[in-house]
Amino acid sequence: MKLLIVEDDKETAAYLKRALSEAGHTVDAAASGRDGLLLAAGETYEVIILDRMLPQIDGLAILRTIRASGVKTPVLLLTALGGIDDRVEGLEAGADDYLVKPFAFAELLARVNALARRPPPQEVRTELSVADLKLDLLKHTVSRAGRRIELQPREFQLLEYLLRHAGRVVTRTMLLESVWDFHFDPKTNIVETHMSRLRGKVDRGHTHELIHTVRGAGYVLREPD
Amino acid sequence: MFRSTTLRLAALYTAAFALSVVVLGVITVLTTRGALSAQFDARIAAESAALVQEYRSEGLNGVVEAVRERDQTPGAIDYGLQGPAGQPLAGRLAPSRAKTGWSVARQGREADAVRVLAVDLPDGYRLLVGDEEERIEALDGALLRGFAGAFVGVVVLGAAAGYALNRDVHRRLAAISGTAEAIIDGDLGRRVPVRGDDDLDRLALTFNRMLDRIAGLMESLKQVSSDIAHDMRTPLTRLRQKLEAGLAAPQERGQAMEGALADLDSILDTFAGLLRIAQIESGARRAAFRPCDLTEISRTVVEAFAPSAEDARQTLRLEGDARAPVVGDPELLTQMLVNLVENALRHAGPGADIRVVASRGEATTTLAVIDNGPGVPSQERERLFDRFYRLEASRSTPGSGLGLALVAAVAKLHGAEVRLLAAEPGLEARVTFPAAAS
Repeated sequence: MKLLIVEDDKETAAYLKRALSEAGHTVDAAASGRDGLLLAAGETYEVIILDRMLPQIDGLAILRTIRASGVKTPVLLLTALGGIDDRVEGLEAGADDYLVKPFAFAELLARVNALARRPPPQEVRTELSVADLKLDLLKHTVSRAGRRIELQPREFQLLEYLLRHAGRVVTRTMLLESVWDFHFDPKTNIVETHMSRLRGKVDRGHTHELIHTVRGAGYVLREPD
Repeated sequence: MFRSTTLRLAALYTAAFALSVVVLGVITVLTTRGALSAQFDARIAAESAALVQEYRSEGLNGVVEAVRERDQTPGAIDYGLQGPAGQPLAGRLAPSRAKTGWSVARQGREADAVRVLAVDLPDGYRLLVGDEEERIEALDGALLRGFAGAFVGVVVLGAAAGYALNRDVHRRLAAISGTAEAIIDGDLGRRVPVRGDDDLDRLALTFNRMLDRIAGLMESLKQVSSDIAHDMRTPLTRLRQKLEAGLAAPQERGQAMEGALADLDSILDTFAGLLRIAQIESGARRAAFRPCDLTEISRTVVEAFAPSAEDARQTLRLEGDARAPVVGDPELLTQMLVNLVENALRHAGPGADIRVVASRGEATTTLAVIDNGPGVPSQERERLFDRFYRLEASRSTPGSGLGLALVAAVAKLHGAEVRLLAAEPGLEARVTFPAAAS
């Protein structure tokens, strides 16, 4: 898919461009806020990756201008280390997700993918399913191959998130943020523990595993090959 | 001279007072003179009327007799009786050709001005009654001298008071200014002297509080810089070693790079932690405060960490479920509790029982994490809140040494007190919040 990177540091921009291209994306890069604005308004992108700190014009100002001109393209905001308020400010300015610099590339890729293929918001779904796994959003029930699976509330949320992002990698941080609303990094492996319990309930006793660990990146729930 | 505020004010006040003395003087002299003249004339007229009355009842000789008699008695008023040809018949006042009524004649002992009332008697006789005007002027003069004295007094006193006031204020301002100069020159320990409780003292106190705050921030900044320099050396050295090893042995490069990345992540973690603490300490987060429930936060955290505790053969549970309201930043409060819980999980040992208790008291709301592990010696407890401080026993376990420093920063931001207490056995970390206004 077609992406736009607005990043003033040449090395970072070049690295991201190369790595994202290798991951199969078409990437445009803008080194300044002004160029970024022109490209964002003129071309059609699936995701815009925008650095919060840009020379001359602040990234947030660009974001507001982009939104004010009616561009609805999902924006991933890159924020500085340790800025507690950056997330709230970024989301208020119209960002769809944020990532703290410096980051692992796998994290960026997972978030870009998650943003790009968001289902249209008007679509109301009452059931999520992959293969023989079904999750009923109204009745709050889960079953696999017709057999009911009892989940704790948090495990249910975890599975719902995986199903909504089926086929795409979700990272530990993405899960911490969206399932637990933890916007910091606990030192304890709580995601791993909850995930292993969930996998025990969903995959144990079945020939095909649906939840997989992606080394160095996170987890993916997908159809068996 | 007028570059001093006090002196300017004192001069202004003195001028205003002096002006009012002048105005008061003029008004007093004018009214007094009017009243005195009226009284003066009334006395002469009464005397004259009495003599006319004498003439009517006793005849001319009676008047002559009366005038002579009155001239004998010591008194101020002068008389004169003159015949139809203008010849003097009795009294000290010389005959006058002036018309009947009031006039001023120059005569008498020192040719002073005498105010005379002339009354015609029948048959061409004339009666004169008068008094020296100087008496009024003498009274005027006394009044004027009095007011002139008051004027000089006001000016002198005003100038003296202004000078004294100015010297005092100047001295105190110089003390403040001197303190500021000393601080500019690097003596950060200096404070403005405070001697009482007036407005300048309150200014000095505010000034000192500001200096304390700045000094505190400077101290913590200095502390952070030296902590970073000290604590980053080890992980950075390790990182460097791994990168060098990777360069030297190509077949182990993958492993070396992975190790280096892990080291780098832990260094970045430490940086993020430090920046976060610094940001919390700056107080800017208070804008995001809203009412929240510590029990609710505890439930989320306990539920998130209970499976990990179980895997380590520990138990983590929430005690009580009554609301424990506070006003604060829910995200920071969550992180604070996570740090306390992680501390307990990490240091209480296998088999430990960890309880999270959120409760509401009379004037406070408390959040406590209580374990039954080995505890911490009392002399080490307070130091645990310092950045990078770690117990000897836990140096080998992973952790940045920033967890409790962040807890302390979050507690301080919320006006809460955080303490580590002996739980007999074990450790209790207790955060006491001021109760939320319900």
